Amino acid sequence: MSTSHLDDEFKGNFDPRVWRKLLVYLKGERRAVAQVAIGGSIIAVIEALLPILVGRMIDEADQHGLDGNLLPTFVLYVSLFAFFAGGVWMFIRAAGVVATGVGHRLRRDCFAKLQELSFSYFDTRPVGWLTSRLTSDCGRISGTLPWVILDLFWGSLLLLGAVIAMFVIEPRLAMYVLVVVPFLVVTSVVFQQLMLKSSRQARRTNSAMTASYNEELLGARTTKALVREEKNLAEFQRLSTQMNTWMLKNAIQSSVYLPLIMSIGAAGAGIALWKGGNDLLAGSGLTPGQLIAFLQFATLFAQPVQELAQRFADILNASSAAERVVSLLETTPEIRDSDAVRARVAATPSGVAQTDGGSIDGGSPRISEVVFEHVTFWYKPGVPVLHDFNLTVRKGQTVALVGATGGGKSTIVSLVARFYEPREGRILLDGVEYRDRSLHWLQSNLGVIQQVPHLFSGTVLENIRYGRLDATREEIEAAARRVNAHDFISALERGYEFQVGEGGDRLSTGQRQLVALARAVLRDPQIFIMDEATSSVDTATERLIQGGIEAILRDRIAFVIAHRLSTIRRADIILVIDGGRVVERGTHRELLARRGRYFELYTNQYAAEREIELFGQGAATVR
Amino acid sequence: MPRAFSTIWQVTEGHRTRYAFALAALIASGAVLYTVPLVSKSVIDVIIVRGAKESLPPTSVWIVDAMGGAAHVRDRLWIPGLVMLAITVLAGVLTHLRTRLSSGAAEAVARRLRDNLYDHMQRLTCRTLDQRPSGDLLQRCTSDVETLRNFLAGQVIEIGRAVAMLVIPLPLMFWLDWRLTIASIVLLPVIVTFSLVFFHRMRPVFTAKENAEGKMTTTITENLTGIRVVRAFARQDFEQSKFEGSSGEFRDADMKLFRLLATFWASSDLLCFAQSILAVGTGLWLLAHDRVSVGTFFWFISVIGMFIWPVRMMGRILADLGKALAAIERIREIVDTPDERVGDATEPFAPSGNGVSIEFRDVTFGFGAPDAPAATPVLDRVSFSIPAGGTLGIVGPSGAGKSTIVHLLLRFYDYEHGSILVAGRELRTIPRQAIRGAIGSVLQQPFLYSKTLKDNILVSAAGDSNTEDAMRSAAAVASVHSSIEEFPQQYETLVGERGITLSGGQRQRVAIARSLVQDPKILILDDALSAVDTHTEAEILQSFRSRTAKHTTIVIAHRLSTLMHADRIVVLDRGHVVQSGTHEELVAQPGMYRTLWEIQTQTEDPDERENAEVAHVH
Repeated sequence: MSTSHLDDEFKGNFDPRVWRKLLVYLKGERRAVAQVAIGGSIIAVIEALLPILVGRMIDEADQHGLDGNLLPTFVLYVSLFAFFAGGVWMFIRAAGVVATGVGHRLRRDCFAKLQELSFSYFDTRPVGWLTSRLTSDCGRISGTLPWVILDLFWGSLLLLGAVIAMFVIEPRLAMYVLVVVPFLVVTSVVFQQLMLKSSRQARRTNSAMTASYNEELLGARTTKALVREEKNLAEFQRLSTQMNTWMLKNAIQSSVYLPLIMSIGAAGAGIALWKGGNDLLAGSGLTPGQLIAFLQFATLFAQPVQELAQRFADILNASSAAERVVSLLETTPEIRDSDAVRARVAATPSGVAQTDGGSIDGGSPRISEVVFEHVTFWYKPGVPVLHDFNLTVRKGQTVALVGATGGGKSTIVSLVARFYEPREGRILLDGVEYRDRSLHWLQSNLGVIQQVPHLFSGTVLENIRYGRLDATREEIEAAARRVNAHDFISALERGYEFQVGEGGDRLSTGQRQLVALARAVLRDPQIFIMDEATSSVDTATERLIQGGIEAILRDRIAFVIAHRLSTIRRADIILVIDGGRVVERGTHRELLARRGRYFELYTNQYAAEREIELFGQGAATVR
Repeated sequence: MPRAFSTIWQVTEGHRTRYAFALAALIASGAVLYTVPLVSKSVIDVIIVRGAKESLPPTSVWIVDAMGGAAHVRDRLWIPGLVMLAITVLAGVLTHLRTRLSSGAAEAVARRLRDNLYDHMQRLTCRTLDQRPSGDLLQRCTSDVETLRNFLAGQVIEIGRAVAMLVIPLPLMFWLDWRLTIASIVLLPVIVTFSLVFFHRMRPVFTAKENAEGKMTTTITENLTGIRVVRAFARQDFEQSKFEGSSGEFRDADMKLFRLLATFWASSDLLCFAQSILAVGTGLWLLAHDRVSVGTFFWFISVIGMFIWPVRMMGRILADLGKALAAIERIREIVDTPDERVGDATEPFAPSGNGVSIEFRDVTFGFGAPDAPAATPVLDRVSFSIPAGGTLGIVGPSGAGKSTIVHLLLRFYDYEHGSILVAGRELRTIPRQAIRGAIGSVLQQPFLYSKTLKDNILVSAAGDSNTEDAMRSAAAVASVHSSIEEFPQQYETLVGERGITLSGGQRQRVAIARSLVQDPKILILDDALSAVDTHTEAEILQSFRSRTAKHTTIVIAHRLSTLMHADRIVVLDRGHVVQSGTHEELVAQPGMYRTLWEIQTQTEDPDERENAEVAHVH
């Protein structure tokens, strides 16, 4: 799976369906799109007119001197430049509006889609990969579109204008000069394809090289310890040689392409001079000024043809980006409200819906019982992680889930949170199948604390406020006090205004847990889900956390992936999970008396906690 | 800045001849290009506009004569057409040569630079690596090198081309008509200055855009990393509006740039047009007064376009030059940092026999700079010794300095006081690569390369003979052979981002196999079995003991079962050796070791004890 993610970066062919999907985004920028087209057209027309005007002026000046029509023509000539500059100004600004507007709306929609996609989507895609869909892919698409529009108008109008102008002056000569156009087109299309291929290869090699540098930095000590410097260098040199080959190939292709285009243009001018000169000498009425105009037209074709071929290559280049973005936008979330639920949400007065946690789908706002009924779940077909699981939890009860990693503990809490849904069986909230309730309502009533809680960059205050966006400063401090977080927060530099850094990395894990607890308390959830940490906090902080947890478990339904003896002992129901099955179930006393799997786990945990006390963090070993 | 230029001069070493030829080809192609319109000009003058009232320009007459004379050419106008084509082809060939030479040189310079940087980075001292964030180093190796390459392959050439295209036609222009020449170039300084100043002023806008983009990317990454929190708190709407805010800021910053660029291109277009108009107006006036021939005028309007646009781009390139110079400085900084080879010992180290003796005598080490040692050293007068082939166990709380002992032995850092003897020789006098080659080390979180399992295990195997067998038997000793056989591609399975993700225990076992293949004199296991379950650990240790005689072993562990069979065990606490002896001796005396042993071997019901403790407290 991951291999295909990384490798499709540089492929992609033109798929009209994909681009039609994206054209919708241009609709919102109709005005700017029109301005790009108008700006491009103005320039094209002026560029096609200039050789004619220059030819006219030469004829006038040569034959009639300063008298006659020279001055008016010159004034027209000068004023055209003002229009030209105006056209340039207009299309660049309009292209900016299109590029930035389309980019913004594409990103917005992709982001919104990511907010509703199920976790199974994220399980197989690294964060970095998803981020570049929103940054580089959306950027490439929005950066390509306006210039394609511009060159479509500018290029084709300029070609058309030049052809018309030449036919008006002298149709037979125009036919001769036009002979070069097919050559221009074929050369351009062929070379743009070649150059696209080599530049893609270079980019692919470049990303391999970056990965290689990165790996070297990560594994610097290993490389030293293994004395692998020479071999590493030899492997890297293979990459840098490849890079050299592709870059050089690309440069040489363009160094053949541009002179070829120039030569074809010169051939056109040569033909114009030859045939036009003959006509003129034969007295066909062609003037020297008109001949000069023809000479200029013959070289003028090269640029629009070149640009159009370039845009074609750009579209191919952006195709894989377009495919990925469209496929993201078209993904339907596996878990979402059913149509019936959505209808009920729509029918519920919005005043209620706005408040956090209130019932927004017309059902009961309270949760006093969670029931698992014959629940079976698997991530990969054929590999069940939970099998025929039954459980009833009532308000005020705490369920402790214990057992080895990978046994299915996190699966159970993910199912409660409806991050995943049961593959078989059902989960009932106060007797109602939870698929018949609003997802937003359920998740608004959850308080989740992860083992390594994620904080957002910003202040401590903002992070706690995430629990309830309209909370006052007093309420936030009260929440922090309830979980014993207030003292440590006050001791921070700038207190509640302390910047926690990216992901909260300026706080220790223990401190992050306290902030996350305060955040959950502020939320005042009906169901509380917690993944306890084992060894990442020092004893003093751990005591603080203990007190904090006790404060919020009261009167709630709580699911705890428990490691700490104190939590485990206090739980109302302890489930020992192993291999997707509940192997033991009961209270602490009952299970200890059984001297089974729980007894073993508990004894080990006891030793581990003692070790940590003695040896500090990170000391506990796997048993 | 001059330092940057001397760097540029240095990195182009060995490729300067190519650059010189490229320059020659550039000048030649420029000169040839300007003769193309000269042909049509001559034909226009001599043949087309026959009834010329003024005397024919001598250049036109010569050129037409060279093609066979007016009468001859008049009946065969295909001749000048063909000549124009031929000259253009010649110019094209020269341009092609120029690009080939200059790109060849620039790409070769870039490749050498990349290779050098790569090699230099892997030989940087651990101290340097500690000090520099890896993101920063990575940027210097990738985007800074790219900037330099762009500078050498693109910008230098563009500036050269702009100057050449401007200077080459000047003599001919002046010779043909000095009045028209002046009218054609008088505004150029204004154009260059304008674009230079404009792009210089625009730099903060570019930076603002980059910053806004960076902020937006951070917002996305944070949201995706914390997606579970977002869902758990049902904060999708809040996140959406936060993102739209930062995406909107990026859009606005980008739009600001577009607006400025629109102003720049439109106004510089106007300036360039003013230049053209000035030339055309002057030319028409001269033409009307019969002071210039139609052909000459035609030539002038043809060539203005050839030099005016490159000149306009020059301002932009010059403004970007600062960026390139800064990148060069940053690369230079890395290259100038001395690597491990500087001042390293050279005398070869080849101890005979199986295993070597190791002795630490009053070794003191702090991670602070040598001139300002840290207040509390990481290791404080640590002494112990291991005979050749012996096994030493080290145990102690985290932060006690256990791994530092390993780092010192591997010469990642050099000790400040005391002495370390390996096979009786002072460690400092043994070349780094030699001592590392003699040590097989497995760290707690071992690093595996993004290669196949086979390549990872054989990563430091010496020869080719029997390597497959060596790999299998090493993997068997490390108890990882059977797990590997279960993968569909077995030893050819790719590890890392593009391949499978191994569990912590599997990684440790692969790393153990890797170090065994090395057939080291000293084997160090630094908490290397922490993620392996007790049963497998026992297996590994069992097969180890059957081969320990082969090397001197240091085992660091929390789990006493890992090191209880060592010949000698050292208990380390806050940089000091607090206890040492055999397992039996240590268990017999009160202290940290015995406490740990009791915790790890206790069998009584902890709950009874806990309850008793609780009761006692109340």
